[in-house]
Amino acid sequence: MHFKIFLLIKLFVLFLISSASALVIGSDEEEIYIDANFSGKNLLVFGAFYSDPSQARDDKSDILIEVVGPSEDVVIRKKESFFGFWLNSKSVGFNDVPGFYYLSSTNEITNEFLNKNNIGLLNKKDTQLIDWSALNIDWGNVKNQKEKDTFYDALIRTKESEDVYRKVNGEIQIIDGNLFRSYIEIPNTVPVGQYKVNLYLIIDNKISNEYSYNFMVTRVGIEEAIYSFSKNYPLIYGLISLLIAILIGLSGAEVFKRFRKV
Amino acid sequence: MSIYLPIAELSVNIILLLSIGGVVGFLSGMFGLGGGFLMTPILIFMGIPTNVAVATSANQIVASSISGTIGYWRQGLVDFKMGGVLLIGSFFGSILGVWIFSRLVVLGQIDTVISILYFALLTSIGLIMLIESSQVIRDRVRRKTVKRKIHYHNWAHKLPFKMKFYKSKLYISAIPPIIIGFVIGVLSATMGIGGTFILIPAMIYFLGMPTSKVIGTSLFQIIFVTALVTLLHATTTFAVDAVLAFFLIIASVIGAQLGVLAANKLRGEEIRALLAIIVLGVATKIALDLLVEPNEIFNITVIRALF
Repeated sequence: MHFKIFLLIKLFVLFLISSASALVIGSDEEEIYIDANFSGKNLLVFGAFYSDPSQARDDKSDILIEVVGPSEDVVIRKKESFFGFWLNSKSVGFNDVPGFYYLSSTNEITNEFLNKNNIGLLNKKDTQLIDWSALNIDWGNVKNQKEKDTFYDALIRTKESEDVYRKVNGEIQIIDGNLFRSYIEIPNTVPVGQYKVNLYLIIDNKISNEYSYNFMVTRVGIEEAIYSFSKNYPLIYGLISLLIAILIGLSGAEVFKRFRKV
Repeated sequence: MSIYLPIAELSVNIILLLSIGGVVGFLSGMFGLGGGFLMTPILIFMGIPTNVAVATSANQIVASSISGTIGYWRQGLVDFKMGGVLLIGSFFGSILGVWIFSRLVVLGQIDTVISILYFALLTSIGLIMLIESSQVIRDRVRRKTVKRKIHYHNWAHKLPFKMKFYKSKLYISAIPPIIIGFVIGVLSATMGIGGTFILIPAMIYFLGMPTSKVIGTSLFQIIFVTALVTLLHATTTFAVDAVLAFFLIIASVIGAQLGVLAANKLRGEEIRALLAIIVLGVATKIALDLLVEPNEIFNITVIRALF
C-alpha cells in the first residue's frame, strides 16, 4: 500500500492549509489502449479524504465518482407497425450526449441533490426534473412531452444495455475512514476519446470538495490502422480491397486449373 | 477463436466466418450462381450491420466472379462485346444504386428496405427453383425429354441502335442489354449481389443469347459491376470491411472449386430442390423479423463520434 502513505502525507499537508475538509485522488492509468483482444478493463481510482471531526454534521461524508466519456451524436428511431410490418418511423437526434457515463457513490444519493448540483444523466425518476435545455436535442416530429420521455428513456436504456451507462451504489471501498478505492468497469464497447473523472466529497448534502482529472481511451493495432485508413483514404482502401479480391480470384482459378488436370 | 472486424466493429468467430464463406462458395460453385443473395442475409443474421454486409458481399463477389470467368473464357464462352454493352447500363445503375443506398442510410430505412427486397427476391428465386427442379424430377420419372426453342424472336429485335454480337450470333438493339445492365447495377449496389440469377434468364429470354455463352458473359460483366460497387461503397458509405471480405473470399474460392467438382458427381435436380428449400427458409426468417413485434422498438445509431 504505497499510495496510502503518499496520500496521507498529501492529505495532511492539505489539512494544514485548508482545515474543514480535503480530497486527493489518484488513478492507475492515464491511457487505456483498446486492441483486438480488449475485453474490458477495471480502472482503479483511489484517493483520500478528510472532513473535520470537530464540525457538527447531520450526515457522514459521502464520495461521488462521475466518469464522463467523449460526446457523440446519436439518433434514436422508433419502430411502428405499418400493415403488419415493423418499420422505423419517428426519430429523435440527441447531440453531444456522453458516449460513456458512470456514476458511483458510497451511499444512495438523491436525484434532488444531483439535479441541484447539475450532476448526472441517469437521474430521471421524476420527469419534471429533467433539464431539457441542458441537452441539445432535435425532436423532429415528436411533439408531446410523454413521447419525448419515451425517447429519452430509450436512449438511457440502450446505452445501459451496451454497458456504457451505469449508476452504482456501494462499490466504493472505504479503508481506515479516510482512504477510498473503487474499480470502474470499462467495457470493450466504450468509445474512444477523452474521459473526465469528477470526484466529489459530499458533506452534509453539500459538495465540500471536488477534484477532476482526465484519461484517454485509444484504439491501437492493425484493426485500428485499417479503420482509420478506410476513413482517411477511402479510394485507396477500396482499390486495395479490390486488388485482394482480384488476386485471390485469379489464384483460385489457377489452382483449380491444375487441380483439374490431375 | 475470434477476429475483430474493424469496419463492422464487432468480433466474430473465425471458424464460423470460414464455414459461411465455404458453404456459400460451395453452393455457388455447384449451381453457377454468385452466391451474394445468400451471403448478404446470412451476414446480417450474424449481426453484421446491413451496410457492411452489402458492401462487403460486393467485394467478395469480385473474387468469385473472376475465378468463374477465367474458366469460361478458356472455353471461349464469354461474349466480351455483349458484356461491354451490359456494362454501360450497369455503370449508371450502380451509381444510382449507391446513391439510393446512402439516402436510405440517412433516412434510417436501409434495414427495412433491404429486408423487404431480400424477402421478395429469395421467395421468387426459391419458388422458381423449387418448381423447375420438381418438374425436371417429375419429367425424369416419366422419362420425358423437354424440347426447347433455340432462338427467340421478340421485341428486342425491333428496337433501334442495332449491333452485331458475333460471339452470340445476335443482331439486336443495344437498348435492351443496356436496360438489363442498368437494373443489375442498381440491384448490385443496393443488395450486394452479382445478380446472376436475374441476369441469366434475362439474357436468355429477353436477348435470346445462346445458353452456353450466357453464364461466362454474365460472370464477366459482374466482375466490373461489383468492382465498381465496391469502390463506390468504400468512398461513400465507408462500409467495405476488408478483413471480413478477406476471410469470406478465401473460404468461398475454395468452396466454389469443391462445389464445381461436386456438381459433376451429383444429380442437379435434388440438390437444386434442397437449395430452393434453404432459400425459402432464409426468406421466411427475414419475413418473421419484419412481422414479429420486436422486443425493443427503439434503436440507436451513432451518427457522429470522435474517431
